[in-house]
Amino acid sequence: MEEELMQIKNSAVSMIIEATDQKELEEIKLQFLGRSGKLTSLFKEITKVPIERRREVGQLANDVKNIIEETLRLAQDKVSDQESQSRKESIDVTAPGIKPPIGHIHPMTQVLYDVVDIFKKIGFQVADGPEIESDYYNFEALNIAKDHPARDTQQTLYLDTRNSKINPGEIILRTQTSAMQGRVMEKVKPPVRVIVPGKNFRYEQVDASHGFEFWQVEGFMVDENVRLTDLFGTIDYVLKKLMGESTKLKFATTNFPFVEPGVDTYIECTVCKGKARLPDGQGCSFCKHSGWSEIMPAGMIHPNVLKAVGYDSQKVSGFAFAIGLSRLVTLRYQMDDLRLLTNPDLRILNQF
Amino acid sequence: MLAPLSWLKEYVDIKLTPKELGEKLTEVGLGVEKITKTSDDTIFELEITPNRPDLLSIIGITREIAAIENQPAGKAGKNIKYPKFKTQLKPTAKVLPLTIKTDSKINPRFTGIIISGVKVGESPKWLKDRLEKMGQRPINNIVDITNYVMLELGNPIHAFDYDKIAEHIMIVSQTKGGEKFESVDGVTYHLPKDTVVISDKEKIIDLCGIKGGRNTGTYEDTKTIFIRVPVEISNLIRRTSLSLGLRSEASSIFERGVNAGGTIDALKRTVDLVLELAGGEVASELYDIKKEYFKPWKLELRVKRLNQILGIEIPTKKILEILGSLNLSPIHLPGERKRHLEGETVIECAIPTYRNDLKIEEDLIEEIARIYGYNNFPKTMPGGTIPTKQIPYFKDYRLDEKVKNILKASGFSEIYTYSLISEKDLIEAGINSQNVLRVDNPVSRDFEYLRPTLKTNLLKALSQNKSNFEKINLFELGKVYNGKNLDEAEENYFLSGISNSKSYFEVKGMLEKIFEDLGIKEDPTRYIEILNERIFFELNYSELIKKINPDKKFIPLPKYPPIVEDLSIISDAKTSEIIDEIKKQSSIIVNVSLLDQFEDSRTFHIVYQDENKNLTGEEVAKIREKLLKSLKEKFTARLRE
Repeated sequence: MEEELMQIKNSAVSMIIEATDQKELEEIKLQFLGRSGKLTSLFKEITKVPIERRREVGQLANDVKNIIEETLRLAQDKVSDQESQSRKESIDVTAPGIKPPIGHIHPMTQVLYDVVDIFKKIGFQVADGPEIESDYYNFEALNIAKDHPARDTQQTLYLDTRNSKINPGEIILRTQTSAMQGRVMEKVKPPVRVIVPGKNFRYEQVDASHGFEFWQVEGFMVDENVRLTDLFGTIDYVLKKLMGESTKLKFATTNFPFVEPGVDTYIECTVCKGKARLPDGQGCSFCKHSGWSEIMPAGMIHPNVLKAVGYDSQKVSGFAFAIGLSRLVTLRYQMDDLRLLTNPDLRILNQF
Repeated sequence: MLAPLSWLKEYVDIKLTPKELGEKLTEVGLGVEKITKTSDDTIFELEITPNRPDLLSIIGITREIAAIENQPAGKAGKNIKYPKFKTQLKPTAKVLPLTIKTDSKINPRFTGIIISGVKVGESPKWLKDRLEKMGQRPINNIVDITNYVMLELGNPIHAFDYDKIAEHIMIVSQTKGGEKFESVDGVTYHLPKDTVVISDKEKIIDLCGIKGGRNTGTYEDTKTIFIRVPVEISNLIRRTSLSLGLRSEASSIFERGVNAGGTIDALKRTVDLVLELAGGEVASELYDIKKEYFKPWKLELRVKRLNQILGIEIPTKKILEILGSLNLSPIHLPGERKRHLEGETVIECAIPTYRNDLKIEEDLIEEIARIYGYNNFPKTMPGGTIPTKQIPYFKDYRLDEKVKNILKASGFSEIYTYSLISEKDLIEAGINSQNVLRVDNPVSRDFEYLRPTLKTNLLKALSQNKSNFEKINLFELGKVYNGKNLDEAEENYFLSGISNSKSYFEVKGMLEKIFEDLGIKEDPTRYIEILNERIFFELNYSELIKKINPDKKFIPLPKYPPIVEDLSIISDAKTSEIIDEIKKQSSIIVNVSLLDQFEDSRTFHIVYQDENKNLTGEEVAKIREKLLKSLKEKFTARLRE
């Protein structure tokens, strides 16, 4: 009896292993486990075994049945996998996949997140301030008095003061995110490390590289012993992180009344690759034919600005900068016109 | 400012090539916008910053070049070839009468002289060529000379026809407002109040610092001229210039602050050229009415402070060299004159009157740094401690990111649009422009009002895309400006979106998901609007994020299995009312949701769960009976058979 059971097991297992499709496996199942199958028949014989061995044989018969069932199940799984594999071969897998219908995050936002992340690593927090701003924070606190000629470089959009108690010219649309320097610093003591992303407004005719609305990321840091070399190092670190290690930068002197020394940062134009000329021989209008794009004016914070917020310029020093975010975005993606950023055409947005 | 290389070379030796020179000029602060090669010259087009009126002159630019080329100073101002003067400014002809009444509060310096017997005519070729290279139109020899000397030395000059000055009297005063004035170029202006003008006995003859008058200009028949080289008050000139919308080369110099010590040299140079090119003789003593003697001022530089601010150690010798090459007459204060900290090295400079921008120690530090060369500096990262306290005006960008990601995952694309919109946009949206904040000086009528909603721009964006896309889903997270007038002005971030392909419930579900992620318990229904075939939503994001509940707490998994059933109910009541009513019946009903809707019946999915024990069918049956009874009483609802 035991021998017969073992034989059934062996022959069933070997048949199962050799079977190649579901039908064959079904037949094997029927042959052994079916109502009149070999094993089923043998089970009926167990009653004939002497009582003292019946329990032992019964156990063995059950084990054999389990093994055959388990082997059969595994083989069925395997065959069914193989069958679906061959089904896959019968469809044209080179046809494109069906993408989930997700939308797109604007390139400006994507670059802004990068900027925020990079500055976070070096300890800068993000502040957000008003676009409807006072002349005081936008200009006077930044060492630009009412009649200062530097105001010409930031032509202002003035707000209609009719029906209000506000004097004309007192409240404006901010021309620079630097307006937040005074607002933040007058409320906290050094050390401070802050960036301020935001929209600015200027009375400016629109062209490929200028807009009357544009984005900047202002940044400033004040502490004991902040040096010009720290400013150069920070600009270099940030722009290389944003635009790639091989990014070419150069610094130049400039003047903004709220910094001294004043620094301008130029980045090699990504549109013409610094050649000032496009492949078709046309001049590169994006960088005004210079091969360089002004990207990040900066400088050491002027003592008068520190004084206006109650800091002692002999004890602390600091730097400030403003990244032209709109321009940075266009430079990163080699877009040749700032206006593409405010164009809601999905053919543009879907690329990002 | 234009600068022809040939002219620059008259005053300074230039070893650098034009390209190298251009790069260095940009580095030290004269942004080169363009270098143009002509047949016989190279013209630099420079952007001059508002703090450097001295660079609106050829001589000023050559001073920078001398410093760039590291030419030793020698005696102050002597590393450039400054013009030599012949005239003694003494009368050689009959002295003519002139009365000048001025006020140093509105005219700090009035320098001038009379020349008689001039012959007005065409300028020689060299002079005309030079002016043309500077972008100027030659007029006649006298006018051309005044322009030439202004471009050369940086002091504006005006020549009056002496014979046309009524009663030979010149009075400097401020206007009452509304006076008429015709400029040399024939344009009539109505002058604003407090404009500084010169009048003779009868009329206004000069709009000070901006334009001369047509009535006393120099023309063919002019025989005697009065040459005036003034110092004007920056603010006064700037105000008049802005209010008249009238800019001149002279006004841009005065606005920035003219070289108050330079009037005599400019006058000498002008007289020399007039005598040479137009003949005539000096016919008066020198007039030089001034508030004070305009002399160089002292400014100290602490070397330790310099190195601390710059972050590098520049040897004192190098510092002295740079300051010297800029003609700042540096003196290394030795021994007992160390007036500051013990052992500190102090350098004292004498700042020439043409460098009005050098007022504090930091200004000198910039001088050293820029001539040393910004691109020669090493780069370091800031030391010190990283501030940990949350700053005022703090913004958490991760929140925006979270919200935008849900919108993106729901198929919406982000746009950025202008904050400024047109009156037409407002009218189309049914908004009264009287109640919207407005810009006084818009760049165009298309961008005149501050948007009180993001809707107008989203609607426009949607229709713009119609020709290329069938399904359009757009959103913007941007500022919206409210308030009827500036006193009430308020700006808030709004989150708005529009879709022509999503159902109402898809949009609602998306907002529910956003609220859920932010831990906000609120029904978004009131933010959603159906506009024809489109679904629009708009909410005050700034207000919304105040309600955020960031605290998430883990709820342990239930130990006992729930009993779940679906009940189909026929009723006219609102879905939310039915759900609320069902939930109210028992604390073991832990969730009720709308599963399906068919004709007049709605199927609700109900989850019963007791956290302390296994529920039995009988217990659930009791609750079911109760809830059906209650629905029947409240909403005459019945179970669908």
